[in-house]
Amino acid sequence: MAEDEVADASLAPPIQHEPGTPPASLAAEHLRLAYDDRIVVEDLSVAIPVGAITVIVGANACGKSTLLRALARLLPPRAGTVLLDGKDIRRLPTRTVAQQLGMLPQQPIAPDGIVVSDLVARGRHPHQRWFRQWSKEDQDAVDHALAATGITALADRSVDELSGGQRQRVWIAMALAQGTEILLLDEPTTFLDLAHQVEVLDLLADLNAADGRTIVCVLHDLNLACRYATHLIAMRDGAIAAQGPPAEVVTADLVDHVFGLRARIIADPVAGSPLVIPIGRHHRPDREG
Amino acid sequence: MGATTFGVRSGGRRLRSSSGLLTVRIGGLSTRVDARAVVVSIGLALVVALGLAWSVSVGDFPIPITDVVGELTGLGGAGRSELIIRQLRLPRALTGVLVGAALGVSGQIFQRMVRNPLASPDILGVSSGAAAAAVFAIVIVQAASTAVTGFALGGAVVAVAAIYVLALKQGVSSYRLVLIGIGITAMLDSVVAYLLTRAQLFDAQRAAMWLTGSLNGRGWDFVGPLFASLAVLLPLAIVATRQLRALELGDECAAGLGVGLTRSKLALTLAGAGLAAVATAAAGPVVFVALAAPLIARRLVGGRCVALIPSALVGAAVMVFADLAARRLFTPTELPVGVVTAIVGAPILLWLLVRANRIGTGG
Repeated sequence: MAEDEVADASLAPPIQHEPGTPPASLAAEHLRLAYDDRIVVEDLSVAIPVGAITVIVGANACGKSTLLRALARLLPPRAGTVLLDGKDIRRLPTRTVAQQLGMLPQQPIAPDGIVVSDLVARGRHPHQRWFRQWSKEDQDAVDHALAATGITALADRSVDELSGGQRQRVWIAMALAQGTEILLLDEPTTFLDLAHQVEVLDLLADLNAADGRTIVCVLHDLNLACRYATHLIAMRDGAIAAQGPPAEVVTADLVDHVFGLRARIIADPVAGSPLVIPIGRHHRPDREG
Repeated sequence: MGATTFGVRSGGRRLRSSSGLLTVRIGGLSTRVDARAVVVSIGLALVVALGLAWSVSVGDFPIPITDVVGELTGLGGAGRSELIIRQLRLPRALTGVLVGAALGVSGQIFQRMVRNPLASPDILGVSSGAAAAAVFAIVIVQAASTAVTGFALGGAVVAVAAIYVLALKQGVSSYRLVLIGIGITAMLDSVVAYLLTRAQLFDAQRAAMWLTGSLNGRGWDFVGPLFASLAVLLPLAIVATRQLRALELGDECAAGLGVGLTRSKLALTLAGAGLAAVATAAAGPVVFVALAAPLIARRLVGGRCVALIPSALVGAAVMVFADLAARRLFTPTELPVGVVTAIVGAPILLWLLVRANRIGTGG
């Protein structure tokens, strides 16, 4: 069965990188981000570590998805700049950006009746022209993206028929087919059960390990974030509260500050990463009131 | 010349993902087409050709179909039938083909761009803009039929432009476009209703006829401009299909893939609304073709391609057969084609939908 097919990140389509140049970097300086009149992020600066898995966490409405959308040039900042390789991302042609930076939104739309291979093929858009719509590289990239995410056997199936976990792998395959050095994902595990959440994150970790692809994603689950992130960014009220390796930054105080939640931090018995145990009102040993 | 690859890839081998697709590569040029779409298109083209020949052959003065084919292909002259074929029936049938094709392409563009199978160029005010201007020309200006066509074209263009500009807000969201389109359409429809109440009986009849959509008396002076418009707008639509494939995944995904949202939506609106506008100016607001042709084409072709050309051919076929039925069903009375398009098109669409649901591929 197709479900048994093993994802193999080493088969991922090669990153399309100009030889002799340093790997692409992503940073932001003094960002002010707003929707209509509501300012969400004020004066935020951040440098995304190259070749790392950066996970952005924070309470609802803290501005984490907003920051991600700004980094992907989907939301124009009111002030400040996003820098791709040190250049203002708004001044670069959007096609050029799309060859270096891929973004998987939280709820992409699969057109009615579309088949898996066609959806994945659409990730090749920035590498195509009206006269060059299906080169050898396009074919190879799609084949490898399907293999890397373990969905080759599903290639001719309609996306509508797939389970949530399979569908998410299809979207990640589409983003992989784009062949970018930097991959941004907005809550890629939402709507998935725990097993599929772990499967998707394993896949991202494999991709990062296989070719040093820079991955940035927004996650809700703090423990999974600690497990998979090499760099954690904790946001509160549109500002960065702390950032660094999870083992160094995740403390009971930080969790209280960022999520307003009293918690105890222990070492994850499986991975050794910080494990956040929420205390809640019913289980406080000290019952402060 | 570089290497040429031409072959159907089969899904048999591992790492092969594109079964049923034809890849064509010549030097630096490459494209990929759906084999099924090619076969379906050839079949549809034959259906259109058959409809065209049949339509030219029947009438109060029947002409043997062999004479028609001979005349159309330039092989054998049809003798005294030549005038009827060349001056009366052929231009009318060709107008039908071109109008149907334009409506089919336009509908496919809007359904895909707005991501709603119920969308048609009508929601962008094409029909109601054309109708308001045409009825104004008939009732108030008492214009001749050529002038009415001009008014209709102008009305369609102005209505679409107004809706597009009003929908602008840091780019155009499909949602706003639909809502504002519905609002403006409702306003224009009430203008039409008002003008009809003010009209003399003869003018009102003429206006009602125009509002139904008709191919009656359409000559070469219609075929020429229609053909020229299609020759410009169809290639634009085909080039913009590439952006459409990304836009279908949602605005954010498309932007992430490097699509300039404002520019590509403008190009698609221009192509789609332009095609619908010239078709409506030529034949009046023919209902149903722009809605049904894309859906029928999609069911025939499957979910692998945008199906612009199949949609054009389905639209052309529906128009030709509808006009044939309109002319001959109740002889000697001729019906306007707009009365028949829905009656001919709806059963096909319903049959395809029901069949798709039975075999479990219904959307």
